[in-house]
Amino acid sequence: MFRRSALMLSAATAMALTLPATAAEVPEGTNLAEEQVFRYRLLDQFPTLDPQLNEETAGSHVIRQLFEGLMNQDAQGNLVPGVATGFEASEGNTVYTFTLRDDARWSNGEPVTAQDFVYAWRRAADPATASPYQWYVELTQIENAAEIVAGEMDPSELGVEAVDNKTLRVTLTNPLPYFPAMTTYATLFPAPQATIEEHGDDWTDPANMVSNGAYVLDSLSLNETFTLTKNPEYWDAENVVIDRVEGYVVNDSNQSLTRYEAGEYDMLEPLPAGAYPRLEEERPDEAHSVPRLCSYYYPINFREGDDVPEALRDPNVRRALSLAVDRDVIVDQVLQGGQRPAYNFTHWATAGFELPEMDMASMTQAERDAEAQRLWEEAGSPDLDLRLIYNTSDEHRQIATVVSQMWKQKLGVDTELSNSEWAVYLEKRREGGFDLARSAWCGDYNEASTFLDLMTTPHGSNDGKFSNARYDELMAQSKTAEDPQPLYTEAEQIIADEVAMIPIYHYANTFLLNPEIKGFPMENVENNWYVKDFYRVAEE
Amino acid sequence: MTAFLIRRLLIAIPTILFLIVLSFVLMEVAPGSPFDSERGVPQYVLDNLEAKYGLDRPPWERLGLYVWNIVTDFDFGPTFTYRDRTVNDIIAQGFPVTLTYGFWSGIAAMAVGIPLGIVAALKQNSWIDTLAVGFSVGAQVLPNFVMAPILVLVFTLWLGWLPGGGWGGGQWNYLVLPVIALSTSYMASIARLTRSSMLEVLNAPFIRTARAKGLPMRRVVWRHALKPAMLPVISYLGPTFAFLITGSVLIDVFFSTGGIGQFFVAAALGRDYAIIMGVTILYGVIVVALNLLVDLLYAWIDPKIRYA
Repeated sequence: MFRRSALMLSAATAMALTLPATAAEVPEGTNLAEEQVFRYRLLDQFPTLDPQLNEETAGSHVIRQLFEGLMNQDAQGNLVPGVATGFEASEGNTVYTFTLRDDARWSNGEPVTAQDFVYAWRRAADPATASPYQWYVELTQIENAAEIVAGEMDPSELGVEAVDNKTLRVTLTNPLPYFPAMTTYATLFPAPQATIEEHGDDWTDPANMVSNGAYVLDSLSLNETFTLTKNPEYWDAENVVIDRVEGYVVNDSNQSLTRYEAGEYDMLEPLPAGAYPRLEEERPDEAHSVPRLCSYYYPINFREGDDVPEALRDPNVRRALSLAVDRDVIVDQVLQGGQRPAYNFTHWATAGFELPEMDMASMTQAERDAEAQRLWEEAGSPDLDLRLIYNTSDEHRQIATVVSQMWKQKLGVDTELSNSEWAVYLEKRREGGFDLARSAWCGDYNEASTFLDLMTTPHGSNDGKFSNARYDELMAQSKTAEDPQPLYTEAEQIIADEVAMIPIYHYANTFLLNPEIKGFPMENVENNWYVKDFYRVAEE
Repeated sequence: MTAFLIRRLLIAIPTILFLIVLSFVLMEVAPGSPFDSERGVPQYVLDNLEAKYGLDRPPWERLGLYVWNIVTDFDFGPTFTYRDRTVNDIIAQGFPVTLTYGFWSGIAAMAVGIPLGIVAALKQNSWIDTLAVGFSVGAQVLPNFVMAPILVLVFTLWLGWLPGGGWGGGQWNYLVLPVIALSTSYMASIARLTRSSMLEVLNAPFIRTARAKGLPMRRVVWRHALKPAMLPVISYLGPTFAFLITGSVLIDVFFSTGGIGQFFVAAALGRDYAIIMGVTILYGVIVVALNLLVDLLYAWIDPKIRYA
């Protein structure tokens, strides 16, 4: 989401004012297709298109086409102007003043004003709205956000103010250098107050919906399809090339591939499990694998008093277990989609993140196995029975099976694989009914703290209840540090030394894209794509 | 007859009430919440969501309110998943879809299955019979989750004649593949049932009498054999139709029709009590209604059956 370079510039006031906004950049002489349409497949139906209520990726992709926030991202994930032409940071990154462009309009022709952002952000924080992403407002450190989400203060007290129609001033409790980057997420997009008040929950119906992005919602049939058409009121409409976006919900993964092969859509993501190597060979121009900011790991249960085997309290035992996991086998033979083996938590492609030097990463697997056996014997070769929980899915089962085999062969550990259907698994994980639990975490923004905050003591997703005073201190310091990277490196070192978890792999996104579609941001590691930047070339 | 009808309708009311209470209790005791997600949601978010949906009230109060809203306003409440839709909206979108392809599947199954069974019975042990029996057995052992991908492979990928999924507002070309995939095994069952039932009736004494009177075969079949031969088929068709029009989960998921089946599965996995309750009640009402219809048809076909 944000890059260190963009951040440095933010100190120099008015930096963004000079940056050009992006739009489809069609090279001269390109033979454009007659019909400018982009069709893609969705795995699951998105629950809502209301920016403040959205909580998942499928909806975010559509909302990003329908609405525009203060800032956007370019093809590399750098911050570029959206509704705001730029911003000014003052008082040590605690006050941000955004200047809105004059020609930003809603699809009903009304101007987009600073008040629309104030309304939307208050709405997201308001307990009465009951947004599942209410916590995101708290995460932004906007003044009084914590009190408002807790219901202790009125939403009108939120530290955001419309100085005039085109000036928005945001006051933060703590300095947050990446605040502007956080405005690219749906929760902080503007909302059309008049429309919402007129139609209530039905405002997102195609007939009622008013939006300010490059596209408007044309039709929506749940679990089947939706269409977006170009918004003529969008301020940069003349540079938007794709006229129409069509989304198809296809749940069955093999069926989704057949329909892609039949040409029913231009983009297929995710691919059926294990299909990537074959597709890469058969369709080299269409199959892509790009890093994705998510990490797959097994947290270890550190709760006191739970019936966790005593041996797991010994860091050497934990280290032996981690060493014995041959990540290359998992990545190259089970997943086969360009993922990378993980020996630390933060995804390798995270902006500005420097991997600490890890012994484990530089060893060969034979060395790791030898070290694992040495540590195991040192710990007295405990007789260990482990309970590994995961949610029902072929991929999780395969990985769990492979890992348990490795432990059995190398250390003689018996692992009980316990799979549950999604909701039951989540409850077990939250309540601590496990020794190890299949988990994955995806970054909310492109900065290491989005991963590392998770292992702090009070974090809601720290399901293993790992707790380390020095670690908490480091993460607290990182929020105000001039350069937080050394702190992140030390934090990773603590996770490694304590073996707070067993990192397994770092994600990659594999997908198929019709080569006629140009302008797709392959280098945006958060996978934030804007159809307004695409264009379709004629068939050759 | 009227008294029978009224009595049956009166029995249907407690049946459906019982169904509501039972599904409510089952949902209550199932672990997990509709608002769980991979990233732990902070407690205040859960509290706000539960307050919004009234989940903070005691269960008996929610159950009472739920039944009351259905009875007075026919309102099944909001969904937990789709924030801008009510359960009524979901049913209004999904049910016509499954009703349409389910109805046509039923028609197709009958239109092919019944004649096939009759012909096979009349020409017992001929090549037509062998063919019909062969088809029935083949179609029944080929489950629709195998058939659906084959159909898409042939008609969408290779021939490019038909769309591989979607609903297209119910245009005929979107209907063809789901209907074939769904109806074939029923077609087979109906053909086999019709054949064996027809054979039994044809060997009955009253048919021999009719033949002995010198009636032409065609007349014997139409006037005398068909009605009694249809009795087992009709009792099979009642629940089958109920099953067909409430949608096949597999067809909905595989062909992305937007039908009710997919909502039902997603709701069960996501603990969306509201959708599960709404759809269960819908299913219940349809099954009860179609069973009633079968009983009435029985009385019409077979005067021996009296409902006094």
